[in-house]
Amino acid sequence: MNDLFSNLALGFSTALTLPNLGLCLIGCMVGTLIGVLPGIGPIATITMLLPITFNFDPVGALIMLAGIYYGAQYGGSTTAILVNIPGEVTAIVTTLDGHQMARQGRAGVALGIAAIGSFFAGCVSTLVIAALAAPLVKLALLFGPAEYFALMVTGLAFAVVLARGSVPKAVAMILIGLLLSAVGTDLETGGERLTFGLTALTSGIDFAVLAMGVIGFAEVLNNLEAPEQRALAKAPIGRLLPGRDDLKASAAPILRGTLVGTALGILPGNGAVLGPYASYALEKKLAKDPRRFGRGAIEGVAGPESANNAGAQSSFIPLLTLGIPPNAVMALMVGAMTIHGIIPGPLVMTKNATLFWGMIASMWIGNLMLLVINLPLVGIWVKLLDVPYRLLYPAILVFSCIGIYSVNNSPSDVVLTAIFALVGYALIKLGFETAPLLLGFVLGRLMEENLRRALLIARGSFATLLQRPVAAGLLVVAVIVLLAAIIPAVRRGREEVFTE
Amino acid sequence: MSEPANASGGVVERRRAIRSSQNFVAGLTLLAVAAIALFATADLGEGRFYAVGPALLPRAVATLLALAGAGLVAGGLMKEGDMLTRWSLRGPLFVFIALVAFALSIRTVGLAVAGPTVALISGAASPETRPRELLLFALLVTALSIGLFRFILHLPIPILIIPRLLVL
Amino acid sequence: MTKRIFLMLAALLAFRVQAAYPERPITLIVPFAAGGPTDVVARIVGDNMSRTLGQQIVVENVTGAGGTTGTTRGAQATPDGYTIMMGHMGTHGAAPAVYPNLKYDPQKDFLPVGMAAGTPILIVARKNFAPKDLKEFVAFVKANSEKLNEAQAGVGSVSHTTCSLLNSLLGAKPTRVPYQGTGPALNDLVGGQVDYMCDQIVNLTPQIQAGSIKAYAIATEKRSPALPDVPTTKEGGLPEFQVSAWNAIFAPKGTSPEIVAKLNAALVKALDDETTRKRLLDLGADIPDKANRSPEALQRLVASEVVRWGKVLKVASATK
Repeated sequence: MNDLFSNLALGFSTALTLPNLGLCLIGCMVGTLIGVLPGIGPIATITMLLPITFNFDPVGALIMLAGIYYGAQYGGSTTAILVNIPGEVTAIVTTLDGHQMARQGRAGVALGIAAIGSFFAGCVSTLVIAALAAPLVKLALLFGPAEYFALMVTGLAFAVVLARGSVPKAVAMILIGLLLSAVGTDLETGGERLTFGLTALTSGIDFAVLAMGVIGFAEVLNNLEAPEQRALAKAPIGRLLPGRDDLKASAAPILRGTLVGTALGILPGNGAVLGPYASYALEKKLAKDPRRFGRGAIEGVAGPESANNAGAQSSFIPLLTLGIPPNAVMALMVGAMTIHGIIPGPLVMTKNATLFWGMIASMWIGNLMLLVINLPLVGIWVKLLDVPYRLLYPAILVFSCIGIYSVNNSPSDVVLTAIFALVGYALIKLGFETAPLLLGFVLGRLMEENLRRALLIARGSFATLLQRPVAAGLLVVAVIVLLAAIIPAVRRGREEVFTE
Repeated sequence: MSEPANASGGVVERRRAIRSSQNFVAGLTLLAVAAIALFATADLGEGRFYAVGPALLPRAVATLLALAGAGLVAGGLMKEGDMLTRWSLRGPLFVFIALVAFALSIRTVGLAVAGPTVALISGAASPETRPRELLLFALLVTALSIGLFRFILHLPIPILIIPRLLVL
Repeated sequence: MTKRIFLMLAALLAFRVQAAYPERPITLIVPFAAGGPTDVVARIVGDNMSRTLGQQIVVENVTGAGGTTGTTRGAQATPDGYTIMMGHMGTHGAAPAVYPNLKYDPQKDFLPVGMAAGTPILIVARKNFAPKDLKEFVAFVKANSEKLNEAQAGVGSVSHTTCSLLNSLLGAKPTRVPYQGTGPALNDLVGGQVDYMCDQIVNLTPQIQAGSIKAYAIATEKRSPALPDVPTTKEGGLPEFQVSAWNAIFAPKGTSPEIVAKLNAALVKALDDETTRKRLLDLGADIPDKANRSPEALQRLVASEVVRWGKVLKVASATK
């Protein structure tokens, strides 16, 4: 414990120097900015800002880049709530209830609770990193392909819980998401799958492209068609920030979301993406009246947003302690470190103690800065809703096009997004929800790859999934979650049949 | 998002052959997607003796999708549910054209042209659009995004390209 | 009045066109994700080159299909010297053998500019893998290969192609477990889920130093200063396994010779610069000696690599 304090002291003495504070602030502001801009994510920005950091000292450079990453997680919820466009994978869940709250004139409350939840989660998760990084990571190494497969299956079970309406239709959407995730080059054979000979599809469909088309643009199309549904600009804007009741309702979800998010973020296989879904599913299960979810329940924003930020922070654990990046942004951080002559690995903690603890301390400071930046901004964002929709939607389209283009510097991605916009519009018309589709897409590839790896290692024996205790345990959880979601639906369905 | 289209429906609507046209068409769509996926994976290997091949997951998923589609079709015939609402053409059409125009112009003429093009073409999608106001706004948004993306975020986005004369 | 302004503007623009190369930022396509070995080499070398050239070199990561997506774009770019690319052992050596429908020819569609840096390949295994040294490893893998799991970072990746070479030298037929990139593969090697793999030194050094994986040999002539305790394949009795993941700059076919010469000069200067060298050496990278920095030397290398990998990978896919 003494170690912890002396380490934290070292960290704060590093992070609190004037240049490092400045870099942390710049990072947080740039992060908030790109988080708010639809489409453009931390990957493109960090890539482009890497050369600028060449002349900084490594600790300062990494503090800034880390700030961009978790700043973007903060900002990503803003567009999700205001205009129903998820900036990041993890903000999809926020669109469900956050945007509904905005439609009811509670945009400020939703934004405020997202910021507060994120702040709390960030603080707790930073402490967890500081105290438990080393032992936790050993635990994470128990996860092999079989366990990851089981984890992804559990994630898909959560997706069913996300459904607002018909369960069979939600399942169909998950299946379509899985199918879309299979498009591209097959990892094992290197052959093309479902690409229909199109070069644009050989490396698979990008998440930003799919999410922007199917959720964001489809929402624009839907709004264009039904002006009277566009209540968001018309509804009187109530409180600007959460009141006491809101805070009371959110306290427990924030705490639970933080725990769930931190735990999943530690897994090296990008478990952090599951955090918000798991938290949402949990809150919906615990709620007295689950029907409020999807219709502007504040718990549906507070929990997932906390889980999201907790995961963003704790996913630094595999990077800093193992040197193994859990996702693309972290892979970029590895690159940033190597450029600065620090090769991340198990020894960073001891060999580069200033860097390790300095970064951790800076995360705490950064979270505080983000709260200070974000709360006053809430007022400005809410004002944005006063812009008439006839001007707002062309602006959304312009920013989104640039964002999509910048993901891979590829115009064909913009065309793909346009196609997915039509698909998304058709799905709305046919009464399908798109959130499960995106989750199926995100998890599908990981699920298939890990299943195939697990079976390769076990020489084709499916029994391997049940013989490994962690994998088996997770599969049991998946079955329980699935049954809990399906049984009431089936019962309701039967009642309907009988009343006819 | 769907509206309860048959909320006002009385006894007359009960006798329709298709009880929920929305579910019926949704089911047909799923069947079509499943068929396309099965067709497109026809020439892929299912797998060797102990390894799952590239075609296994897509085919399994497509089969389940076909089942779900059949279920929805049946449900649409038998159970009451939402009816299809009117599909509009104007919004999707102009937004689609606007996005494709952006894709075609961003690398050839640059953002200074591509930006206003998207805003103006997409403006045609809404009956509420006021052309002059939109034009001014489009130029403003484009100028703002050039400053933001190119100069603050340093993204490699071409701003203005005039062949043989100018590249910004 | 407007006419006059227009004329002035036109004159100004005309002047810009005639200005000496380079008069605006140069795009360097890296066909792999930011943060990977090729990207890091490109950024380190590009940083110094842009100082020499007086224009920024902007790295554009165009990923997909084992680097061939970005390489295709590099081949099709306007040959004006403002778009060049960082190719490597895979995109300009192994790709023709891996991808039958490749849309470019590494030799015909590119002009070689020069070698930037190579990263040596190591043979590594999980830390509790039985063999003690390379000799035992060779014997053990030969005897038990069908029971073993080898991790590889995707078809056409450096770890896949180099380990194909190793397996074909040993006549080994392990189960080849594919991963999406080196990170996850290494994760499972550290966790003991798979038995061995081959990969670039940059990715492996920290894990080897920390003892979380075991290194058997480095596939170069001399030991690496970054890992002085790891013997070479020559010392360990497998001298045929000599391989380095080289990264080199290419320009699209049709780029003028003056521009190629200018770029090569900037590259050579970067490779002599103290800080650049130190940064590269910290990674464990090989810096080419003077004789191997010319476009001609690179041309010869590409020609020999295409033949070499063609043979290795044909054998590998036949035995699969």
